[in-house]
Amino acid sequence: MHWLSCRETITLCIVLRVLFALGLDFYLSPPTSYAYSVDNGDKVVEFINNGPGLLSASSPLTLYANLKESLWLYQRGMDPYGSGIGQVGSPLYLAFSFFPTIAESGPSKTQLLSKLFGIFLWTAPDAFSAWFLVRIWKARASTSTKSSSSSITFVLPLIYLLSPYVILSSLARSTSVWENAILLGAIAWACESESEFKTKPELNNSNSKSKSLLFLALRVHLSLDALILLPPLILLLLGSPESRLTEPGPFGLYLRSTILRAALNVLFEFMVYWTALALISTLIVGHWRWMSTTWGTSLSLPSMTPNPGLWWYFFTEMFDHFRPFFLVVFNVHLLMYVAPICIKFQHDPLYALFILVGILATFKSYPTLSDHGLFIAFWGIFPEVYPYLRHPFPTTLVLIHSALLQPLFAHLWLSHGTGNANFYYASTLVGACAGGMAIVDAVWAGLRIALEKHGKGELKLVEGEEREIVTQQ
Amino acid sequence: MDGQGLRLQAFLRRFFRPAGDPNLARINRRRTMFSFIARRMTVLKLSLFIAGYVWIFSVPSSQLDRGVYFDENALQPGQVNTYWNWKEVHDADHFLGELEILRDSNATSEQRSQFIMSEFLRIGLPASTQNYEFTGLPKGLNGTNVYAILRSPRVSGAEATIISASWISRVNEGDGTLNLRGVATVLALSRFVKQYSLWARDIIFIIGDGYMEGMQAWLSAYHGVTQSNLRAQRLELTSGVVWTALNIDYPGHSLSHLGIFHEGLNGRLPNQDLLNSFQHISRRTGVPVVLYDHKDELDLGWLPDNIRNHPEIKTYAAQARNLWRHVRYQASGRGSGVHGLFHQYRIDAFTIFAVPAAGPHGFHSLGRIIESTLRTTNNLLERLHASFFFYLLTSYDRFVKIGNYLPSVILISVAMMFGGLQVWVDAAWMERRHDKHEEGSTGMVWIRRRRPVLEAVSIVLGTHILGAACFFVLSHKWYQSLPFTSPLLWVAAYILPLAVPRFFPQNITDNVAPLSLVLKAFNLCLSSTVISIISVLNFSLAACLAVALGIPLSVASSSSNGAMGMVRYTMYIVLGFGWLLLDETRKQMIWDWDILGVWLLPFLCVVYYPLSLQAALVCII
Repeated sequence: MHWLSCRETITLCIVLRVLFALGLDFYLSPPTSYAYSVDNGDKVVEFINNGPGLLSASSPLTLYANLKESLWLYQRGMDPYGSGIGQVGSPLYLAFSFFPTIAESGPSKTQLLSKLFGIFLWTAPDAFSAWFLVRIWKARASTSTKSSSSSITFVLPLIYLLSPYVILSSLARSTSVWENAILLGAIAWACESESEFKTKPELNNSNSKSKSLLFLALRVHLSLDALILLPPLILLLLGSPESRLTEPGPFGLYLRSTILRAALNVLFEFMVYWTALALISTLIVGHWRWMSTTWGTSLSLPSMTPNPGLWWYFFTEMFDHFRPFFLVVFNVHLLMYVAPICIKFQHDPLYALFILVGILATFKSYPTLSDHGLFIAFWGIFPEVYPYLRHPFPTTLVLIHSALLQPLFAHLWLSHGTGNANFYYASTLVGACAGGMAIVDAVWAGLRIALEKHGKGELKLVEGEEREIVTQQ
Repeated sequence: MDGQGLRLQAFLRRFFRPAGDPNLARINRRRTMFSFIARRMTVLKLSLFIAGYVWIFSVPSSQLDRGVYFDENALQPGQVNTYWNWKEVHDADHFLGELEILRDSNATSEQRSQFIMSEFLRIGLPASTQNYEFTGLPKGLNGTNVYAILRSPRVSGAEATIISASWISRVNEGDGTLNLRGVATVLALSRFVKQYSLWARDIIFIIGDGYMEGMQAWLSAYHGVTQSNLRAQRLELTSGVVWTALNIDYPGHSLSHLGIFHEGLNGRLPNQDLLNSFQHISRRTGVPVVLYDHKDELDLGWLPDNIRNHPEIKTYAAQARNLWRHVRYQASGRGSGVHGLFHQYRIDAFTIFAVPAAGPHGFHSLGRIIESTLRTTNNLLERLHASFFFYLLTSYDRFVKIGNYLPSVILISVAMMFGGLQVWVDAAWMERRHDKHEEGSTGMVWIRRRRPVLEAVSIVLGTHILGAACFFVLSHKWYQSLPFTSPLLWVAAYILPLAVPRFFPQNITDNVAPLSLVLKAFNLCLSSTVISIISVLNFSLAACLAVALGIPLSVASSSSNGAMGMVRYTMYIVLGFGWLLLDETRKQMIWDWDILGVWLLPFLCVVYYPLSLQAALVCII
């Protein structure tokens, strides 16, 4: 079923998304005789943040209201980081002040145009993301992969652009959709970068490596948690994005000294970009204090606003004198996965990156729905592991349960007043279970596929007729 | 350690760490366990279904409920001397006389509201009126609300309590009986409470026009909620956050019992402590309390005497009647009266219904009870607790706790989930005759086949989109004005899905599972998810869904006989969309959605109809 090329699919999805956003805006705006003020689609943001995306659509780091407040302060010559509450993450977000539509919410003559522009600003990154996903897939799909590739290029944009997780974040104007696009850009260019191991010379591009590193530096700059994606990305830059899951082995054929030098080069380039971005940010706001609010927030959890992650409830319940210790524990817990995953999947760094994206979505300090949306969309790139998944159906069911329970319990707690915080936390735990199940299954299937293909997998579970090992229940 | 302990230890070690490869042992253990469950799946499913249904039908029995108790000690119900006396009764009679004159002179709602406002003003309360109009309806719906606010003498008005009465009583769900005595009670109360300085929060008196719509307009304006088809005047007077509301309904000329109506919009319930306080106070005052207006015993004349008079049976019958009424109010999402509108704004509210009778009580007892209840809510320093919102009242003084009623529906939902998983696993395997006979084999082998997941997912999504389209048509304002829309929509909803098998031609091969099996697995798992999630939001609706969908969806299967398949298809469509052809029900649901925002119509269209449509498609694919 591929009637459309990926470009057409993306265009179609974007048109649908824009129409949906406009329709929602039209539906929510009060009748003209009652219009007290002209708004630029803020009604929709309010509706999503108080309705289906309550607590989950944006985190304090990506909240649209915070972005607006910072812009307002900045444009009036005040320090956006001085108030102590509700800052935008990085000073680079202040670049949004070039766009009049967010900054000014006063009446304007071209109301529809500015509305459209606002919608465009938060739909465009999703279009980029979908496009990058297709490019990652194209770089990964080798000649040996079956002809299903064209159907994948059709499905990939669909599962990203029409995923409710992504749509909700985009309608809530959470800046996380931009972060996703930037991360996917970094990965896409890393897949296309020049290396001896790339078998497709037509994709090779000498600029790609720098672009990829710049984008990752930008992503890390915007929120620090993406730092754990740096090691697999370096592996990806030096290695190949192609599917090598069936041929596990040591990374590449480099000599140890060459690989170290190459890795250090890449790391150095990354540090240069990162420092440059930090310097630019400092120039924009004029002081260094933005670092503690931008990077410090995801490390030290100053705001315990409920979110779909696992941190906030734990730290609300904790005595204050244990806080530093458990902050270290939770942060190290995230770091802990990097080395084992990168070592085990060194033959296929893109797969390691995929698993780490899942770990980030499940365990990071301020996750939003769009992180889960990214992880789900990433599954589309690895069709070769599907037959080896152990429990894809139960995982999906748990995910659906959590996706439906989260808004419901958030409402029982906050708007009905009949539930309490435990309800919402329980539903996010269900979501974390789904994430955990998906990650475990991804690791299992990624390793299992090699056993099968090499015929080493005759574990002789049951004697006799059944040679095939049942992996899927 | 003695010998026995050592032996136990050795046994445990043998059990958990048998000799040989531990991984192999682990895998074998897991397989044994799964196959043990899988072989008994039918029995397991059946027993879960039976347990669930038996549990649902035993909820009214006296074994599962318990007596009510007070969770919030600050309420202190019935601990005060009441001051309401014959002078106030005289006031109420006076107001009633005036109102009756207005009624007899066919006064418009404008005149009525002017009169009531002038009375409020004469008492010395700031009062105002609010005009409202619902647009886009076949026949216009407008009116005027009156309200007055008593500023709290003791603290700044950060919180408020509402005492309300609607112009039309809830008798027969608002059939037009006037609530004159209820309005007179509110007027007399407003005059009465003004004399005392003990109120710790503002008291708002509202006379809502019409039955539900007036209060809906007032509450929307008070909370700043815009509704696209409502033009409501802004309120001139406002107060603080409303915590509790009492709605008074007194349609007869005397009363024998006081009835409690508590179900709110979309299945919400008020805090149970409020109801408990009221019934406690009322019985202390000497007026018997009933749930709803069930004051006479259920007629069980068709049963033999010795069964009929058995106390357990009598209790069961009475409680089942109460619960059935509750399920109808809660599952329909409409609530049981004006108080239901308050819950969406986090206001605990219920209706005190004076059950019409020839006597012996009247304004005197009613006033005392309301005064005492008001003083009880006045004691609160914080909102009522979070844990007391999940209950089923079986009688005015007995209730079923969440742990005793929720498992019934969850069991059915789990049975459906197991059914879905079983079908999903079955779809992956196929038994086929072995080509070459080996010695010792039975000649049959199991082979794996691919499951068409993408196709099934697109059918599921398609049905929900079709449901959403039906909802769009139903809620459009032209729907009601054009003729024959309902039969046309029904036929469309019946015919359109028939095209689905053409889009997904079935080529029966050994390596691809039939689409109907995968679709059935998805359908069962999705229904199970919906039921278990709805059960915390609106238990009655979940119970209705469990009864309506549980067994029917589980027995859906494709038929090789085309005619038989079509018969089954038709039955599922009737099950899922038959309500459209019931004229009154449909009109009521559309009205509820348009005016009050009751979720039943969109739920039926977007969730319930697609679920049964999927089962219908299973039969013809």
